[in-house]
Amino acid sequence: MNENKAAAYRLGYITLAILAVLTIIEFFAAIYLGSLVFLFIIAIIKAAVIIQNFMHISRLWREENH
Amino acid sequence: MSAATVQTTHDEAHGHEVPYATQIRSNRLGLWLFLFSELFLFGALFTSRFVLWGNTRPDLSQEVGLLATGVLLLSSYFMYRSETGAAYGDQKRFLRSALIAALMGLLFFIMVVVMEWNVFGLSGSLFGIELFGHLKPSDGVYGGVFYAMTGMHALHVLSGIVLILIIWWNGRRGVFTPERHWGVEATAIYWHYVDVVWIFFYPALYLMGQPA
Repeated sequence: MNENKAAAYRLGYITLAILAVLTIIEFFAAIYLGSLVFLFIIAIIKAAVIIQNFMHISRLWREENH
Repeated sequence: MSAATVQTTHDEAHGHEVPYATQIRSNRLGLWLFLFSELFLFGALFTSRFVLWGNTRPDLSQEVGLLATGVLLLSSYFMYRSETGAAYGDQKRFLRSALIAALMGLLFFIMVVVMEWNVFGLSGSLFGIELFGHLKPSDGVYGGVFYAMTGMHALHVLSGIVLILIIWWNGRRGVFTPERHWGVEATAIYWHYVDVVWIFFYPALYLMGQPA
């Protein structure tokens, strides 16, 4: 239980770090590259990370045990 | 025999009561379908930006946009902490994180309405960064699209803040348990969805294209 809890909180930190790094990359990529496709790809990755880690989309297919 | 007892006996006899696990699965599916339907609204606004602005964009403060995005991402993180706290019976963290998420959501709302929309007509700068926007809704397609996109998003932020405050209030009253906290989970999913929408709106409004 405690291990699961620690892992869940850890997932939060990791996700936030990924999102922060991608947002900074996105900001500077817009200034120096100006590529629409690159900015789209970063936005899609950020959205996928949130949908998977924060919104728990996989729970839609999971059997509940409570 | 009371009316409640009669109803319970009736439900048990005919198997009307839906098991909690089945109910949660249905609730979850319903919420995701609702969010999917919202995709059409935000998708239409997102598409209109590219049709009407093309490879240009209005001259907006890059720093304010980045800061607002950072605040919303942090808010999403605190909402995740709040939900995790509720799921593991960590009441203190659940309540505190929910409140921080709501306050950060409010800060984002203020940044959009007071700074970017500049509803009070303010002016000023900090470290050379222009703090208040100058784009008006009447400024042609730039103003129209910008206000439609940020306005619809801000409305969802506002409703998300209300939902977070409701779960915070109910959490204080001890309504949620680690086994039963669907209200918290649903609010968290909705709040993250609002964040996902902004993840696409932010580059579309602030980063993509050449300043007009």
